[in-house]
Amino acid sequence: MRDTLPEEMERFRRVEEAFRSACFRWGYREIRTPVLEHLHLFTTAGTLSPQMLGRVYSFLDWDGWSGERVVLRPDSTIPSARLYAESMNGRVAKLFYVQNVFRFAEGDESREDWQCGVELIGERRPLGDVELILLGREVLSSLGLEVDVRLSHPGLIRAVLARAGLDAAEQLALYDRILDGDTSVLAELQGRLPDVGASLEVLLAVEGEGSAYLSNLRASFAGSIPGLAAPLDELSVVAGALEALDCRCRISAAMVRNFEYYTGPAFQFEVAGRRVGGGGRYDALVSLVGGRQAPASGFALEAGDIAAALPARPSAGPRVATVTAAKSDRRSLAAAFRLAAALRERGLAVQVAGSAPRGAPRVSVSGKGFLLAGAGGKARRLAAVEDVAQALRSVLQ
Amino acid sequence: VIKLALPAGDLRGPVARVLAAAGLHVEGYGEGSRSYVLSIAGGGGVARVFREKDIPIQIALGNYDIGVCGLAWIEELRARFPGQPVVPLRDLGVGRSALFAAAAGGMDRLVARPGLRIASEFPNVAEAFALGARLPAYRVQAVWGAAEAYPPEDADIAVVAAADEAALAAHGLTPLHRLLDSSAWLIANADSLAARDLAPLLDPLARGARRGGAPGLRLPPPLPTDGRAPATAVRSREALRLALPDGHQQRHIVAALRDAALLPPSGYDEAECVRRPASPLEGLEIKVLRPHDMPQLVATGEIDLAATGRDCLIEHLSRFPSSPVDEVADLQRGQYNLAAVVSEDVPADDLAGALAYWHGQGRRVIRVASEFPGIADSYARGRHLGRYQIIPIAGASEGFVPEDADLLIEGTETGTTLAVNRLKAIDLIFRSTSVLIAGKGRRLSGRRRELYRHVVSALRRAAMRTGAV
Repeated sequence: MRDTLPEEMERFRRVEEAFRSACFRWGYREIRTPVLEHLHLFTTAGTLSPQMLGRVYSFLDWDGWSGERVVLRPDSTIPSARLYAESMNGRVAKLFYVQNVFRFAEGDESREDWQCGVELIGERRPLGDVELILLGREVLSSLGLEVDVRLSHPGLIRAVLARAGLDAAEQLALYDRILDGDTSVLAELQGRLPDVGASLEVLLAVEGEGSAYLSNLRASFAGSIPGLAAPLDELSVVAGALEALDCRCRISAAMVRNFEYYTGPAFQFEVAGRRVGGGGRYDALVSLVGGRQAPASGFALEAGDIAAALPARPSAGPRVATVTAAKSDRRSLAAAFRLAAALRERGLAVQVAGSAPRGAPRVSVSGKGFLLAGAGGKARRLAAVEDVAQALRSVLQ
Repeated sequence: VIKLALPAGDLRGPVARVLAAAGLHVEGYGEGSRSYVLSIAGGGGVARVFREKDIPIQIALGNYDIGVCGLAWIEELRARFPGQPVVPLRDLGVGRSALFAAAAGGMDRLVARPGLRIASEFPNVAEAFALGARLPAYRVQAVWGAAEAYPPEDADIAVVAAADEAALAAHGLTPLHRLLDSSAWLIANADSLAARDLAPLLDPLARGARRGGAPGLRLPPPLPTDGRAPATAVRSREALRLALPDGHQQRHIVAALRDAALLPPSGYDEAECVRRPASPLEGLEIKVLRPHDMPQLVATGEIDLAATGRDCLIEHLSRFPSSPVDEVADLQRGQYNLAAVVSEDVPADDLAGALAYWHGQGRRVIRVASEFPGIADSYARGRHLGRYQIIPIAGASEGFVPEDADLLIEGTETGTTLAVNRLKAIDLIFRSTSVLIAGKGRRLSGRRRELYRHVVSALRRAAMRTGAV
């Protein structure tokens, strides 16, 4: 549980505005999905991983006598896929949202995270993946952040684990250990795959640079682990296109965590070595939540983390004027509110209640006209509303 | 003083023998004393008797340092709250059973069919089981008991404790998956273990116990869907389904049925209780279940008519206000009061006075314990208790106040039990009797409607005679 203070809120809105305007520029349309969803949307195989499901907030609703639970939205991609299946099935949909997700976190960490997410549903070609990576990078760059892109494919590890003859539960357990950096897994796998010539460490524990690294992996492993060929081909197209656009990316086989729905190229955005967003291709998800089979990919940026990483903006100075009444009788109060309304109509930010910010202009209303103070120089008396507006404009705008 | 939580119920005898063998005599425990707080000779400390289900929770809360309960109940807590500070220490080697997922009526293997209904007294384990198997759109029905009687009519799968596969077969169930091998375990609160000297009790108990770590839940691997149609909640049927209660309600309902000339010819009377008694009327199907679980079954349409307590109905409606269940007859039997109960030491005669006293004592959170958590929550909200904590309990509630709760929402007939436990009622919430409940606005036709009218009117007539008397 965490509050967002005014300064933090300003940073958050900067992120949101940069994201929304970039999405509009790239032809995406905004959606919103409910905070409360049916739990079953997230429990089917191929949606959320059991580890993630162990951290959701689910409960019986007031009409949950049948035992069917509801959940505070733990993820936005699955509800977006549901929305698409129910209302837009069969079309190409370019959607974005800014909304919160809820997951249990230990200690004082926030259990509510705000995400700026994009879903591109119905686009089969790899240009969709490339567009999403460029869009995410553009949002972060427009905020003045230096972005690193990491690229992966869940099919890489799946191909190795399947070739090792592991069942679904064993694959899941080993996959998590690999993601947790448990290097002993590599020895276990190498033992199960004696006929794979090259060291699995090159594939599972080393990060490489773009197309060159992918070519090396293909040369080293594709012969002995045929399942690697398809994911390597998909990654090569995306990485190659990005390189040609001067977008360098690092390749990491062990990157995708806790989401079972990724089926193709996956990516992460990092700022100063910290993950601030990620996404990937999820071609099976729409059909899993009741729609027709539809290719799809998407990403989400962690708005709170990005806001915290933003460089401080120089203070814009006082931006609101304060109108005060000379007395507290109804005539004086009405005169103060009337002046404030007239100034707001002229595009100025003007308050009546509350104390004046330090260094901000103040206008006192009395029967003798308007006394303007805090606008540079000595206090001065003005007769007309327009004169007050002009004087404030020079200070506030 | 070391605080020890001991189980009531079936485990009481075997655990008493383990304690005796360890040289610990808990006064009155083996003899079935009605007192809930007992002193321990030999090891020092004090023991409190709980329903087994409540023991891991009390240990996790830190109200008790060590306890004894079945591993299945520990896993029930840990399946939902894995970070709770409960440490299984030793297998005491008694109370052996296993947790199974089981089915009846043609389901002989676990399938991932959408909409499967899972009934269990262990709802958190059942959830973990369904998530592990990745069952699509499953529903877990948390029941107070008799889960083994649910398949195939009222659930597709039951997650139940049983001695072995043969015991399941005796209930007509086929095991689909063995989730856990359970037995009575000595457990401790992690903080107590880290900071307090528990050796006077731990030493003798651990000495004779088996070593080794506690086994965890064995969850099934993810299953592919079998492509079959979703399981449907309510199957079309010819029979009218009537549910009758077991437990303390049974004698009242037997009397009501006898007065209405509706008593089954066998299997349900003062001395006998089988889950599916023979029916006195053609087309009427009878099932005996826990009274707490009946409103849910009526709401989902599995059961057409049920005899239960008004307390159970109001508890259900407190949790699910729009549930389509209605009281159709007051059977005028089994009357008792549901009341707010406090310790005799609280110098107040009403709730306002009690609240003023607790606040004056610096108590910031009012702890409310009840077997009826929905009613307790509704009461606490409606009576503006401020910051409060509802402690759902499985029974043996009189022993909770004053150490482990401030307020009980508790049934009382004559007040004698309250007085024995130094408690007093300060607010009457409602008067409960046995009632007949049915689905609100549900339309029956043909023989089912005929039977429904016959049963309801016969019981109403009998109730009117009872009320007149």
